[in-house]
Amino acid sequence: MNQAAQAGAIKPSAKIKSRSKFSIGKTLVFILFGVLLVTQLYPLLWLLIYSTKTNEEILSGSFFSLPKSPQWANFQTAVESGNYFKYLGNSVFVTLVTMVCVLLLASLVSFAISRFRWKYGQVILLLFLIGMMIPMQATLLPLMLIFKNLDLLNKHASIILPYIAFQTPVAVFILSSFMKSIPNEIEESAIVDGAGVFRIFWNIILPVSVPPMMTVMILTFINIWNEYILAATFISSERLKTLPFGVNSFVSQYSVNYGAIGAFLVLGALPVVIIYFLLADKITKGMVAGAVKG
Amino acid sequence: MNVLRVSKWTIALFVLPCLLLYVCFVFVPILVSLYSGLLDWNGIGESKFIGLDNFKQMLFHDAVFWPAVKRTLMFAVVSMCIQIPLALFLAILLNRFVKKPNFLVSSYFLPAILSVVVIGQLWKTIYNPASMGGMLNQVLESIGLQSWTHSWLTDPSVAMYSLYFVAVWQFLGYHTLIQFTGIQNIPSDIYEAAKIDGAEGLKADWHITLPMNIPIIKISIVLAFIGSLQSFDLIMVMTGGGPAHATDVISTLMYNMSFLSMKYGYGSSIAAFLVVVCLVATFFINLIFNRLERKYT
Repeated sequence: MNQAAQAGAIKPSAKIKSRSKFSIGKTLVFILFGVLLVTQLYPLLWLLIYSTKTNEEILSGSFFSLPKSPQWANFQTAVESGNYFKYLGNSVFVTLVTMVCVLLLASLVSFAISRFRWKYGQVILLLFLIGMMIPMQATLLPLMLIFKNLDLLNKHASIILPYIAFQTPVAVFILSSFMKSIPNEIEESAIVDGAGVFRIFWNIILPVSVPPMMTVMILTFINIWNEYILAATFISSERLKTLPFGVNSFVSQYSVNYGAIGAFLVLGALPVVIIYFLLADKITKGMVAGAVKG
Repeated sequence: MNVLRVSKWTIALFVLPCLLLYVCFVFVPILVSLYSGLLDWNGIGESKFIGLDNFKQMLFHDAVFWPAVKRTLMFAVVSMCIQIPLALFLAILLNRFVKKPNFLVSSYFLPAILSVVVIGQLWKTIYNPASMGGMLNQVLESIGLQSWTHSWLTDPSVAMYSLYFVAVWQFLGYHTLIQFTGIQNIPSDIYEAAKIDGAEGLKADWHITLPMNIPIIKISIVLAFIGSLQSFDLIMVMTGGGPAHATDVISTLMYNMSFLSMKYGYGSSIAAFLVVVCLVATFFINLIFNRLERKYT
């Protein structure tokens, strides 16, 4: 392959011809893409149509048809008897607090690991790396006991604290590897100018680290916004439930009001879908960067 | 070499808040769980130290434990053997045949960012019996395949496959996106050079795309493995491990033992087993791929 690469370097003008002779193959490929588009998106579209039907229409077996008149009342039921906005508010609160704490705490540690001259930086980093392999479910039972003793059960703190703890490893990993790549000269000249450690952190390193911080924000948002099992285990009050938990309890409660269930699922998916439409590029890039570095 | 020389207090100020929180909520629980695995305890009353009895019971006498382990591993195997090759194949095709692939890639990816609750309940609705508005059975009936209809989630012989399908469906787009990005980062002059040597199309994919993409494939495999452990949420939402343990995996078994059967000590020993499986598997995946990377890149 080395030789091949050299040959390529010598003849950079080699062009890739368009391969029109494979047009049957090409058609097949596009049929495959189309089929996948249907399987990936049709269930979501079906849910949207389902959510605007009456129970009779849903049970009639004509799964493909549109409703005679869209039942917006389903959405009204979902919002009013399902406390939708309460859950939404809780999810926003929990996710925001987690995001801010993860960003702040992880960037402090990453700064220390990647820029300070001290012995234990790599050990600390390794400690965080081990955490990436520990499944969150395995901590459910002991955390339950710990929170019971600390009297934290059924409070938002009982989910926010473990959320932060489980998001920091990947955040520290992404941020510290980025901060390591910032040239040392920046600090050297800052020290000459008389800037202290905190000024260097806040005014120099943090502003440069905005791109990896965006990645961390996106990963944290997707993970925490969608988290279900911890919330369902530690929270029991109706007024404290987050959206995924709220959606699940609504569905099990109203198990025969099919249209309203559909409507609540649509509403449950809506915030993420809207954000995805607005920021699709950033989110896909962030998720890939998170995966590749994690 | 880092240039900032700072006092111990400064280091503590930067490191301790995060480190303490992390250790308290990740490591301490794991240790507590390892210890409670040695107890006979319902989580509330008196506990009795019974040494390794829980582990013996789990490994040698529990009829539902090994099937649950097998399903957990199958979950990982299904996503590795179906999802990743398919994702890689799609990524190669997308790269070669589509001029503006972003729309397709981001559409395929959409299910991956939705909550497991939404996905699980959506598919539960799709799998419902036709008389309850379930789409899948309605479709089968309307094209004359009555005999193919099933109660997809309550029939023990098919329930697990219904779950595998949902997991593959949800994350296929994620793996496609990762592989696609990986392939885009392979320098195009390598392909041009290979073409001069007479390798293009499938041959070039075999000799260039595949080996060059090994690090990215490894990432997908690690994610698929971790994801299969996270199938926990999906299973809890869709079947809760039922009917009659037919869809139990390690983590649902742990949850049901501790929170429903109130065998806290026994549940903890299952949790400890889960942690060990995770660490060992990550170690071996890394080992295998380090070898592969050294051989091919």
